[in-house]
Amino acid sequence: MDRRVDGEAPGLEARIEALALERRQQAESLRPFDANAWLGEPAGFPLAREMQPPELLRALRGCGIQAALVSHWAGLRVAPQAGNSALAQALGGAGEALRACWTGLPLFPREGGPLPGAGSLPLAAGAVRLFPRSHNFPLAYWVIGELCSWLTEHRLPLFLWHVEIDWPSLHALAVAFPRLAIVVETQTQKILYQNRALFALMKDCPNVHAETSNLAGADFLRWAARELGARRLLFGSFLPVNDPWVALGMILEADLSWEEKRLVAGDNLRRLLPEARA
Amino acid sequence: MSGPFIVDAHAHTGAMSMFFCPESGAAELLARMDRLDIQCSLNAGSWTYLMGGGGEELEGLRREHEASGGRLLYLGVYDPRRGREALRELDQACRRPGLAGIKIHPTFHRTPAESPGYEALWRFAEEHDLTVLSHSWSSSEHNPAQALSLPGRFEVWVRRHPGVRLVLAHAGGRGDGRAEAVRLAREHRNVYLDLAGDIFCYRLVESLSGELPPNKLLFGSDFPWLDPRANLSRILLAEIPAEAKRRILRDNAQEAYQLNLSG
Repeated sequence: MDRRVDGEAPGLEARIEALALERRQQAESLRPFDANAWLGEPAGFPLAREMQPPELLRALRGCGIQAALVSHWAGLRVAPQAGNSALAQALGGAGEALRACWTGLPLFPREGGPLPGAGSLPLAAGAVRLFPRSHNFPLAYWVIGELCSWLTEHRLPLFLWHVEIDWPSLHALAVAFPRLAIVVETQTQKILYQNRALFALMKDCPNVHAETSNLAGADFLRWAARELGARRLLFGSFLPVNDPWVALGMILEADLSWEEKRLVAGDNLRRLLPEARA
Repeated sequence: MSGPFIVDAHAHTGAMSMFFCPESGAAELLARMDRLDIQCSLNAGSWTYLMGGGGEELEGLRREHEASGGRLLYLGVYDPRRGREALRELDQACRRPGLAGIKIHPTFHRTPAESPGYEALWRFAEEHDLTVLSHSWSSSEHNPAQALSLPGRFEVWVRRHPGVRLVLAHAGGRGDGRAEAVRLAREHRNVYLDLAGDIFCYRLVESLSGELPPNKLLFGSDFPWLDPRANLSRILLAEIPAEAKRRILRDNAQEAYQLNLSG
């Protein structure tokens, strides 16, 4: 080891701690609202560990995150109805900081149990996610048009993992429902090799947004904010699979104005969920 | 010291054909380094070089090293499918400044890490006191070729060449490769792990710091596949002592690659 560097160690460590403190304070002042937190046993991530609502809240607060839109893995791995029931039960006493993102299905053929469009949603419901690939239905007007009309009427945004969609179908849907806010999520693999399609879709369809937990390519945030607008980007942590400081750190350090960072970190999601009280 | 102090132990430069990447050149990397307190980056080759390019690509890395004032060190790429030619180019590069090690990528090069095709590379690294950086990952349903880079496959080499420092990139990935990578780094003095890439797992920095000797974990970005900001903040904000952060951000790369950093 270089002895000269060892001699500099105390100064470097003080500097590192100052940088960390500065980031922590900045994160809190951005009032982050996480679009992508999860309850239940993670599917497809063998090293990730399930968190109960109190632990999830503590982990979020530890990063300065004020509120989160929360989904349940059972909605993917068991059934949408099972995930929605588990979510309603888990969030019953969790307070207003955690809002539910329900899992949906096409409205025809009609299926039983708690599903968006097939009964009343609890107050905390803020958004709906579909898994077209895993649940075996095409992302097509003639299959989910009725549900999209219902979502538009109730001002609920539609969330979709990019690994669950095909781009031409999503484009057709976004054009057919211009008042439906659509959020393309960058899970469960980083969105990198698909970014030509994503950015072209966002340019053509102003109602399409991108969630940022794995939008991690070099300066993608700055580029997207300049070309498409900071209002189109939504911070997501993908907790408890991912470390929230990854996505949060990219926003903190991005070459964006403070106002743009506030939008991406949380205000855009608050705008999409008009009834949010967090 | 008041200037940039961080070492990015795993970056790349050059155009990327398979995804949109508006800013991937050496100048753009240097601009980010200035912005993010990164003193020095190890350039592990362009996409073209990794995918079979040769001497011209290596010469390009050397020119970027010179143009950067020495801040962009570089690694030569060894593809066993063109082994003799690659070693000839590396031998020439050893006589010029800036070469910090050798990059291998069993997955890209469709050659298992334990293949005899790598024997000459390990001997060359030992003779020239060069560090080997290799891609490593876990078993993957999406990409079965990742199995060629499972960490355990390297053990034959680290036992046979204990004088060669091996850095396992991506710390074995997001699945079953990680435990093997950790085991190798714990059992072998010459094995290190870098954090480059999208292994964004919750509390990964904390858990690896707890499992590994303090000198074994390195910060890396994998620019331009990933933005350096992604891995930087999680290290700065990890719940580990400041000394451990300093080692990850600077000292461990200095040891693993035998860097002589100034200022």
